[in-house]
Amino acid sequence: MNRQIRLVGLGMIVLFVALFLQLNYLQVVHAKALESNPLNGRAVVREYTAKRGDIVSADGVTLATSVPTPDQFKYLRQYPAGPLFEQITGFWSFTYGADGVERTYDKVLTGGSSPFHLPTSLSGLQQLFSNHDKSQSLTLTVLDKLQTLAQKELAGRIGSVVALNPKTGAILAMYSNPTFDPNQLSSHNLQQVQAAYKALQAVPGGVLSPGAYRQRWFPGSTFKIVTSSAVFDHQPSLVTKTYPVLSALILPQTTNLLHNFAGERCGGQLMQLFTVSCNSGFGQIGLDLGAGSLYAEAHSFGFGQTPPVDLPFAAQSTFPTADAFTHDLPGLAYSAIGQQDVQATPLEMALVASAIADGGTIMTPHVLDKVTNAQNQVVSTYQPKPWLQATSTATAAQVTQLMLSVVNSPNGTGAAARIPGIQVAAKTGTAQTGTNKIDAWFAAFAPAQDPQIAVAVLIPDQPSQNEYQGGTLAAPIAKALIQAYLSTAKATP
Amino acid sequence: MRRKLAAGGVRRVPARRRTELGLIILAVMLTGGLYALAGLGKAGNLPANIGPFLIIIFALIFAAHFAVRRLAPNADPILLPTAGLLNGIGYVFIARLSNHEARLQAVWTAIGIGCFIGTLLLVRRGRDLERYRYSFAFLGIGLLLLPLVPGIGENINGARLWIHLGSFNFQPGEIAKLALAIFFASIMVERADLLSQGTRRIGRFLVLDPRYLAPILVAWGLSLVIFFAENDLGSSFLFFALFIGMLWVATGRHYYLGLGAGLFAVGSVLALKVIGHTRSRISGWLDPWAHSNTSGYQLIQGWFAIAAGGIFGEGPGQSNAAHIPEASTDLIFAVIADELGLIGAAALLFGYLLMVGTGLRVAVRCERPFEKLLATGLSLIIGVQTFVIVGGVTRLIPLTGITLPFVSYGGSSLIANYILLALLLRLSHDTETLPAPAPIMEAVSA
Repeated sequence: MNRQIRLVGLGMIVLFVALFLQLNYLQVVHAKALESNPLNGRAVVREYTAKRGDIVSADGVTLATSVPTPDQFKYLRQYPAGPLFEQITGFWSFTYGADGVERTYDKVLTGGSSPFHLPTSLSGLQQLFSNHDKSQSLTLTVLDKLQTLAQKELAGRIGSVVALNPKTGAILAMYSNPTFDPNQLSSHNLQQVQAAYKALQAVPGGVLSPGAYRQRWFPGSTFKIVTSSAVFDHQPSLVTKTYPVLSALILPQTTNLLHNFAGERCGGQLMQLFTVSCNSGFGQIGLDLGAGSLYAEAHSFGFGQTPPVDLPFAAQSTFPTADAFTHDLPGLAYSAIGQQDVQATPLEMALVASAIADGGTIMTPHVLDKVTNAQNQVVSTYQPKPWLQATSTATAAQVTQLMLSVVNSPNGTGAAARIPGIQVAAKTGTAQTGTNKIDAWFAAFAPAQDPQIAVAVLIPDQPSQNEYQGGTLAAPIAKALIQAYLSTAKATP
Repeated sequence: MRRKLAAGGVRRVPARRRTELGLIILAVMLTGGLYALAGLGKAGNLPANIGPFLIIIFALIFAAHFAVRRLAPNADPILLPTAGLLNGIGYVFIARLSNHEARLQAVWTAIGIGCFIGTLLLVRRGRDLERYRYSFAFLGIGLLLLPLVPGIGENINGARLWIHLGSFNFQPGEIAKLALAIFFASIMVERADLLSQGTRRIGRFLVLDPRYLAPILVAWGLSLVIFFAENDLGSSFLFFALFIGMLWVATGRHYYLGLGAGLFAVGSVLALKVIGHTRSRISGWLDPWAHSNTSGYQLIQGWFAIAAGGIFGEGPGQSNAAHIPEASTDLIFAVIADELGLIGAAALLFGYLLMVGTGLRVAVRCERPFEKLLATGLSLIIGVQTFVIVGGVTRLIPLTGITLPFVSYGGSSLIANYILLALLLRLSHDTETLPAPAPIMEAVSA
């Protein structure tokens, strides 16, 4: 019997060696292939379940936070501010990935980018054996106060408000309608998330693409800031050229006319043309400048370039290349007043205003202020850096004078933005988008002698009536933001 | 010790039991360390109850050790610490998966150790078991068929192998396999000569005498009944393998192995044709990727977990076990392989191999055939059961719902395994005591 018993032992060893070999196959040889198998949700879930830090506004309001859950995802991402900050924070969804700050700073929020340190203390050793809290929180430059004000001022109308600090590029507010509640995409109920996403895709106006930096409109007369800069930079003689008083400009190569808004008659030198936003005059300036100069100026202001904002998929603003106008001089005249093929995001127009405000420099726009670790220590702070040298300091000073005249002159189009005691520099825009439809624009900065805030406001698709000009519709919103921001800045020096 | 020596006939007591105590302390330290690491890994800090935890597991295993000291002082010193370590590792991983199940498992462990002590108390000599062979036969078959009784039987996951009394669930098959092992050992030893000569000459051919074929056919029939009526592939295979293995060891006739394999194949084909539950298990085994959401799901998730472990593992408490179905019972080995890696999983397998090897060594050292065969059978149960579940989880063989001895969550399994352990220790004690050249030894030591 002993022989059989020994053979049984041998058989057992054979069976266990087989198990050991199979384990080697699974854990060493075949492990990579199994890990990358499309059915293997572990990597995705591991990434998704990593603890994320909070996202907090500059004035201390929590915009995104993670709440522990008992399910396999471990944490539920919540957005206490709801739709108000969606276009900045974005969303964090198991099914649909991430957008906004959640996407740009994904690795920072989970601490995945923090370097590994050998443990030097008992608590460090403890961290080595545990999934210790590596998450980091983000403080944004965006102010809840201004964001709320922008939402309130838009009063439900489709449109965008962008405010930034021209000296640093820090975005102070960036709000667009339509928006949505990101909580419906971060939910762990996958059916509900899918249904919500379908519904969002169906919203007209593209609610999943933030209007402020991912959608483009004709900038209309706000583009005259760029055209005027081109005059100072490329052909200063045009500054003192007197343009005839017309109600419409007869365009070359065609019988078409470029009409002034509501058939008004205007003309004169650059200062007068800018103050009343004279289309016939600026159309002629465009033709006098030539396509090359206007294109070069637009490009240096950021048209045709993707703004390096720390948010995903920012749209380029467009200006046609110079040779596109060789056989289309009417197009050049229209482009000089921000029509035809010129398109800009609200963010770009805020950057145009900030270029003039900051002596010709466009600082890199950004929403991140600082990164804090789980122990509440500041890990890093955003260092402002210039993006473009749009124009010279001298030109910026000259254009500032033009923009001040828009607000301060009795016949200026931006009188609605006047603030007692504060010099506001601005340009209105009323872009024609079709028969009797206009987009109302306002681009401004203040105070003119020491600019603290640059603002762009857009309210598109308004009926073409006088009260819907940029000066009447969009200017008061910019004024409200400037006032609110400057009063805060004064209160907290 | 001195007192026991005076009682006479007892050799090597201090050394063996001291070895055992040392190994127990090592096992408790390993378990405590693992518990601390799992707590760190899961919650980021040491478990608050680490102190009471260590005291309780030490108290439980020390109670078992003390019982062995008193009741089977000459028994092998490796089996109890190894079982304790496996039980401890199992508990840590159950606690890491579910606090509720961990509390229950702690109670079951205490009851299991109670049964361990009770078995040592009740069975004073291994050979006494032989006398009750038919009682064990009826007990075993009765327990096996108990889940089929309407009213107390219960279907869980397509298999009918549970009984419930009130809120109390029990898997009687776990105990039945012990009773049947005792019965097989005694009947086979008695009929070994007949069984091994059961050939008859017909013309020029030697054929098996149908009379001696009868028992194997009965066993086969019974395992098929378990198969068909309770849908329990794992227990059925374990039961049949135990029977054939013991028969072969008892008789030394290889044709029993061939016959067993043949009958198992026939039974498998039959089952495959008739039972959907079995069919889906097999298709999930042959091509899990084609059934990734149905019968292959458990297997694939187990594979992913094992693969994620790599060589060194993700660390105790640090994996996301929520992916794994039946994580605390059938697939607990996948969780362990995930978090402890190849190294930890191989160590666990080595622990089982150590138990099986020690059990077989006890069998070799036994003097009487009954004890020899019983020790072999008990060792086979641990070895085959481990192979069936680990092989199932790693896809060497089809995955069946069977527990990993001492590790998986489950009261009946734990109790059965502790009784099995007590029987092995009893047999081990008997063999080390039986030669009893007591007078000479006493004379020498005196």
